[in-house]
Amino acid sequence: MPDLRVLLQDSPKKRMLLLGNEAIARGILEAGISVVTTYPGTPASEIGDSISEIATEAKLYMEYSVNEMVAVQVAAGAANCGVRALAAMKHVGLNVAADFVMTLAYTGVRGGCVIVTADDPECYSSQNEQDNRYYALLSNLPCLEPSDPQEAKDMTVSAVEISEKLELPVLLRTTTRVSHTRGPVTYGTMIKPNLHGKFVRDLKRLNMVPAFSRPKHTVLLRRVAEAKGISETSPFNKVVSNGGEVGIISSSSAYNYAVEAVDLLDLDAGILKLGMTHPLPEKKIIAFLKNYRKVFVVEELEPFMEMQVKAIAKDFVSYVEVYGKMAKEFFPREGELSTRLVATGLAKATGRKWSVSLSAIEAKYADVAKDLPSRPPILCAGCPHRASFYTIRKVCGDNALYPTDIGCYALGISPPLNVGDIMICMGASVGTAQGISRVTGKDTVAIIGDSTFFHAAIPGLVNAVYNNSKIVVAILDNQSTAMTGHQPHPGTGLTGLGGASEKVLVEKVAEGCGVKYVRVVNPFETKTVAAVLREAVKQSGPSVIVFRSPCALMDLREKRRAGVEAVPARISDKCTDCMTCIKLLACPAIIVEEGKPKIDENVCTGCGLCISVCPYKAIEGSCAE
Amino acid sequence: MKEFNIVLAGVGGQGTLLAAEALGTAAVKDDLNVRVGEIHGMAQRGGAVISTVRIGQDVLASTVLEGRADILLGFEPIETLRSLKCASEGTFVIMSTERVPPVELATRKATYPSIEEIVEKIRRFTNNIILVDTERLAREAGSSLTRNVVLLGVAAGSGRLPVTKDSLLEAVRELVPSKHLEVNLRAFELGFDSLSRKRGK
Repeated sequence: MPDLRVLLQDSPKKRMLLLGNEAIARGILEAGISVVTTYPGTPASEIGDSISEIATEAKLYMEYSVNEMVAVQVAAGAANCGVRALAAMKHVGLNVAADFVMTLAYTGVRGGCVIVTADDPECYSSQNEQDNRYYALLSNLPCLEPSDPQEAKDMTVSAVEISEKLELPVLLRTTTRVSHTRGPVTYGTMIKPNLHGKFVRDLKRLNMVPAFSRPKHTVLLRRVAEAKGISETSPFNKVVSNGGEVGIISSSSAYNYAVEAVDLLDLDAGILKLGMTHPLPEKKIIAFLKNYRKVFVVEELEPFMEMQVKAIAKDFVSYVEVYGKMAKEFFPREGELSTRLVATGLAKATGRKWSVSLSAIEAKYADVAKDLPSRPPILCAGCPHRASFYTIRKVCGDNALYPTDIGCYALGISPPLNVGDIMICMGASVGTAQGISRVTGKDTVAIIGDSTFFHAAIPGLVNAVYNNSKIVVAILDNQSTAMTGHQPHPGTGLTGLGGASEKVLVEKVAEGCGVKYVRVVNPFETKTVAAVLREAVKQSGPSVIVFRSPCALMDLREKRRAGVEAVPARISDKCTDCMTCIKLLACPAIIVEEGKPKIDENVCTGCGLCISVCPYKAIEGSCAE
Repeated sequence: MKEFNIVLAGVGGQGTLLAAEALGTAAVKDDLNVRVGEIHGMAQRGGAVISTVRIGQDVLASTVLEGRADILLGFEPIETLRSLKCASEGTFVIMSTERVPPVELATRKATYPSIEEIVEKIRRFTNNIILVDTERLAREAGSSLTRNVVLLGVAAGSGRLPVTKDSLLEAVRELVPSKHLEVNLRAFELGFDSLSRKRGK
């Protein structure tokens, strides 16, 4: 959607095609949420990005926070002054925020406070498939789960109401298929944002020292009981069909598959759709269970509802059998569900035959697909990371170890670059490098991006200085949070509202942390970079090298805007078809035609890296060295 | 359940997302129910991308079941093959002949398969195949960056879409930045007319 100002239209009943995340942004405007914070992460990014585009016009405050914990802290601070606030993040972001959230549940909030967590079944762009509904159970916070964009908007509004009623933050849990599905959304009325908060001092309410925490735990449990009452009467928890053969309880994107699978199998099923999944509406569930001998729980990821429905059945409707992913695994616990998987599970469970045979299609497809070349995501043509990895690998070699981190540069693990030996979570490269270097004695080069460095690596770097760890930290600074859509960060000098701010330079931070050897290089000047790297690995303590060059996509876009054409490299007659350029760089701009390497002029940005690696000087064009 | 499914297959950066959004926007303008499924983030960095558009009153999920595509809109030949799981004899494959060679081909020193080989494989699923020289038509429109809109125009010109041409054009007007609008509208019309021009020959 190029012009997001359509989200600002004060025209109730208007029907628009919105992405799930854009629908949440619209919900923000309809709920009168006035402070929006986020750290970008797929599949949550478009919530913050949409608001960033329209915040000034909508007269609300928006920020890209340095990480998810700070994002929730800023939102909760505002909410405790009575201002409605929302913090959006991807599922693993809630791990970062969890320490704060667990006790925020004790203090509670005054203004509505919503925490959006976008889970990623199938790991489309994530490192794990954790089910964040367990955070609701763990923290005792209410949880809403939309199944489509319309509900994503409506539940954002509802989450604020529930939050203010209970004085608790509310979790809004989406999955990739909800966040990244477009569907028709009917607008409601908007509430003007109100940024004028008032802090009311209340020691016992807001200072969680042991003496005040204990009674607040009791208050929290009382609020959960109250939340259960809301769940019982919530319009989001409803029986959507009354079939008599089997019962199905479902939520989120899984509900869509369940309904379509029932249709495919021509099952006479009753369906209880749950939109508020913590706390569960016990009475509604009991009433539903009583109609059936067998009930299937269809949900993405973990058997979160199933386990609780089983407990309810045992206590109140002991004759009903509850199935899903636990005792009999009708639906997989890993990966994302699909209409096919749900239909297959339901067919197996009910003995119903599925009229369409997919095995014939599969066999035919397997034959066609068997020699197809793969097309995994790769570093773009002209990406400065390719240059950085090329030199790092060349200088530090096969014997060195390369802990890496979350961002585009995680793509460096693939051949031929082969830089990346362990990657776990945001900021972990700097910490894991220290343990690895300590016990192996090998050269250890931690790879991390600029935004990720600010997000979670500064304590790790302080630790390296304090405990004198002999590691090299390579900060690949492309001046953007590139992978998630080029959002600004503290090093860019830009804010989420589009204004200018102080540029926080990574090299200054490193110096401030006490690192003695800090250098800034241009990754395309490969000879200079090599010399600096050789020096860095010789240091007795931690060293930091900042590889600074803007993201190639951003650079290209800016040059196009300024009317500057990229000058692609050229391969001359000197080329011996040795393929060194391809073997070393695997740049998408170098293709092979009739056994010869060729530059694809539509793709080449003219970065010049291939010119500096060609052993026969057969590639011409401009080169940084 | 009545459903009309369009699968758009291509490479990150080819503009499949815009084409899918235009189809979805047109459906809403025509008062139809629709779901558009997209892949964002990591998968977009030059990787294979698939978008899905499902139109129909009772449609809830955004993903398309195996064999159930009414139209497979292929923005790139190899990616069209990769998406054939969604095709069956009733599927119309509308495919751009513009190749984006995967890096793996270069590292294997392998040549990109010929269009004949590709068409032969598609024929194992369906005989309804329309090939489009998007590059040529886009240049004729005035910018090779409009290849995705050319393909959208061809889909509309095939007369098989459940959305109206007017709504699709309106969607393109809303989604394309104004300074590139004229060239994109030309690209759409060139795509739209290309089938009848072919027939006329």
